[in-house]
Amino acid sequence: MNVSFTFLRPFARFMMPCTLHRKRRDLYSTVLQRYMSSKISAVSSSSKEDVAPPEELELDKWKMTMKSSGQEGASAVSSSEDEDPLAATRELIEMWRLLGREVPEHISEEDLKIVMESPSKSSKKKYLKYLYIKEIKKTAKQKKKEIKAIAKEETKKDNLLENTKEDKPQNFLFLRLWDRTMNIAMGWKGAQAMQFGQPLVFDMAYDNYMKPKEMQNTVSQLLESEGYNRRDVDPFHIYFCNLKTDGDYYRQLVKYYGEKWNKLFLTATEKSHVDLFPKDNIIYLTADSPNVMTTFQHDKVYIIGSFVDKNIRPGTSLANAKRLKLATECLPLDKYLQWGTGTKNLTLDQMIRILLSLKNTGSWEEALKFVPKRKHTGFLEISHYSQEFVNQLKKKSTLNSFPKKLPKYTCKENEA
Amino acid sequence: MTFYLYGFRSFPKLWKNNLYLGFGPGCSYLFLVDSSGIRNQPRWFSLATLFLQNTKTINLQATSTRYLRKEDKRRNKQVSSDSPHFFAAGAAKKRAQMNPQSKESVISPPLNDTIQLPTKPLTSEEWDKLKENFKRKTSFESWISSQLIYSKSSLDVAKSLLAWVAAKNNGIVSYDLLVKYLYLCVFYKQTSEIIDVYEIMKVRYKRLETEGYTLLIRGLMHSDRWREAFLLLEEIKKVMIPSKRNYDDCIQGALHHQDTNTAWNLYQELLGHNLNPMLETLEAFFDFGKDIKDDQYANRLLEILLYLRNNQLYPGESFARSIKTWFESVPGEQWKGQFTTIQKSGQCLGCGRTMESIYLSAEEYGFLKENIMRNVIDGGDQYRKTTPEELKRFQDFVKHSAPFDIVIDGLNVAKMFPKARESQVLLDVVTQLAKQNLRLLVLGRKHMLNYHSRWRKDEMKKVQNQANCFFADNISEDDPFLLYATLHSGNHCKFITKDLMRDHKACLPDAKTQRLFFKWQQGHQLAITSRFPASKLTFQHVFCYDTVVQTTGDSWHIPYDEDLVERYSYELPNKWLCLQRKT
Repeated sequence: MNVSFTFLRPFARFMMPCTLHRKRRDLYSTVLQRYMSSKISAVSSSSKEDVAPPEELELDKWKMTMKSSGQEGASAVSSSEDEDPLAATRELIEMWRLLGREVPEHISEEDLKIVMESPSKSSKKKYLKYLYIKEIKKTAKQKKKEIKAIAKEETKKDNLLENTKEDKPQNFLFLRLWDRTMNIAMGWKGAQAMQFGQPLVFDMAYDNYMKPKEMQNTVSQLLESEGYNRRDVDPFHIYFCNLKTDGDYYRQLVKYYGEKWNKLFLTATEKSHVDLFPKDNIIYLTADSPNVMTTFQHDKVYIIGSFVDKNIRPGTSLANAKRLKLATECLPLDKYLQWGTGTKNLTLDQMIRILLSLKNTGSWEEALKFVPKRKHTGFLEISHYSQEFVNQLKKKSTLNSFPKKLPKYTCKENEA
Repeated sequence: MTFYLYGFRSFPKLWKNNLYLGFGPGCSYLFLVDSSGIRNQPRWFSLATLFLQNTKTINLQATSTRYLRKEDKRRNKQVSSDSPHFFAAGAAKKRAQMNPQSKESVISPPLNDTIQLPTKPLTSEEWDKLKENFKRKTSFESWISSQLIYSKSSLDVAKSLLAWVAAKNNGIVSYDLLVKYLYLCVFYKQTSEIIDVYEIMKVRYKRLETEGYTLLIRGLMHSDRWREAFLLLEEIKKVMIPSKRNYDDCIQGALHHQDTNTAWNLYQELLGHNLNPMLETLEAFFDFGKDIKDDQYANRLLEILLYLRNNQLYPGESFARSIKTWFESVPGEQWKGQFTTIQKSGQCLGCGRTMESIYLSAEEYGFLKENIMRNVIDGGDQYRKTTPEELKRFQDFVKHSAPFDIVIDGLNVAKMFPKARESQVLLDVVTQLAKQNLRLLVLGRKHMLNYHSRWRKDEMKKVQNQANCFFADNISEDDPFLLYATLHSGNHCKFITKDLMRDHKACLPDAKTQRLFFKWQQGHQLAITSRFPASKLTFQHVFCYDTVVQTTGDSWHIPYDEDLVERYSYELPNKWLCLQRKT
């Protein structure tokens, strides 16, 4: 830059007389740059400059300070010069953050490696956005925790003051049921379900169809389902079938449950559901099924595929049922709900809540309250449904007389 | 501002059109394309009223637009009278317009904010005042600079903003403001400013991110320091594969500075990364080739044409024009080019040569058949679309009942007219075809035999008498069977369905196989165009020639996209560039 600067200075001085209205201006460096930049756009912007001469604005001063003040910072950075692609990626992320992109502030070595090895720019950005959101959630949670801790401290102080006032013993009929007691009670119920409960199978044969993210979602949905089942009045006896001990499912489940895994009141087995139960009793639940479930049967074994399908590969679970020649059913969502948007595939915890509710009450309205509200606009009245059915029948009967009416029909079309 | 006004004056016809024909979809589209520079509403209106004041011209305009409107209507009628081919460019758009349910997408005007964007450089106090009015969550500086970019403000305004920020902040301007400023510099092609920002960035930051690099590459390419842009490209390569736009900038810059070797090397590198070059890049090679009389360069250009052929890419209108001028500039070879269309028989209207046949070679045919069987029908899990028993039953059936002439997608044909009875429509079609002594196969599902009001027993019996029928399970897919039966019968066999088969095409493993499938589909699919039930059966004509860049040595035929026609990926251009050598 310096070189070209000195070279051009005499040139600029020579040209000055041509631009008369800038005569007053001193010949400091900005003049040159102003002149160079206005040379190209002279045609379009010359009139504007006459109206508002920006002399006193010193538009280019910031550049000088940027150049001079930046030197120190740059030297500090460039001292750690190494051609490590990992470091380069880290710097790229840092620059993206400066640009206001959705990237995390701190990134661990493993995540950095995942980012670096992502094949495309979009997959990099996607993973970084995921980390960014995760980071935001984490900091928000931490903030909340701190606020809570402070509030707790204060109430403790207040309580201390109150406790000193009233110290006399009180009469209670019951001991307070602590969480531990609740857990024991649920354990008893679970044990009972293991002996006499209706089986409900989660089919774990889908590990090959899922990516790590989907697998994670599946396992967290399984955890939630098990939780809902445990709290129910009359729990199912849950089976995890086709669960390979060296598979992804097993690893993730053990990781999430920790020590609790071996104390769960459910049956985890490598065997398939067709080996455990008679085939006639099995009903495979899948949204692709042509058969609609009408009632909940207490003597059947329902199977739910533990499969989160973000890739939209329809018919995977139906294919599995077809292969084993099992009966299939789907929930009567269209019959009872005015469906809006979204797929008819529900999450595993929604499924188990619907089934539990059906088991206890037998009413579809009650059970289908667990379908997310965003997916439908409300319940269909049964009378409305039957009305539609009657209308359909009517339509068909008029269509049957189609050949007689044909000439009229074509006439109409021609007019249009 | 003045610039745009000037621009419109020079195209008075276009301007009138917009003013008087209102803002129908087509017109407003045109307008938006031409005025992409000014988006914000208030400015635009001031421009319109300014123009309207000229009352003298109004009458003149009114008469001329009336004429134009008539012309427009006539053209519209012409278009709608002969419905375009399924795969012709723009056909999908037309189909969508005929469908009354589709809603017009309305381009909403940008939100008017309380803050008026400055049109001239402001002083620090003025900026401070402006900031007081600002009530949003984001920082004022980055918001206002985004707005400046959005409305393409003059550089001086942006500069005064930066000066104000720097003054407030000990002379430091943050990176995102610098990048936004750089964007404006590149937009206005202010080379000296670009170099200044480049120097600043080099000093302050060890490494930039992709957006900064991209802008710098684009900016530097037109300066004397264009070689440094290649260093920036190397920097990008350290973290990720540069985009095709980066390569485009570099190649165009190298060509601009007469460095053909670098340009070709970059082009090879681009192909090596499995990126599809932008058509602009290829066009630049042709544009530059006019001034070069070099056999090696010419051969490389022909290689580009072959690349277009192999990847079934079609040049745009201006690219086609550059190809034409390059060919015509080749010394001693006397090429002559013209823009034509191809007749239905596959003959070029310009020179009378016949285009390449649409039919696949025996080798390609076998390859496609194998792929359909493996990926579309089987797909790793036979239970997904059918069952092994059914597949076996179908294969035996096809083997025994000899080759067919026409395979009919029973359900697709029967549901053609929603008001007519299904079995009746199917019977009509089958009877008309059977009269021509064709061997027919009707594919359907088993529920068609569960006779009820829409599927009459007697009519289905008649269908079964006139044609071979195969009924798949109700939960099986019938399209894969259709494809297999047609392919198995041989090259003469065609199939009838209106289905565009895009989902099955998507099942194929790679782009090459998908193109092969599409080519086969063009040559073998019959789509019924009859409008009314019980009328005479008419089919859309089947292409007998292949729409692809092709050569016979002393002639080239190159299909191209017109600028104003929107073509979907499964449609084909219908305009051609015909080049031939005088002998």
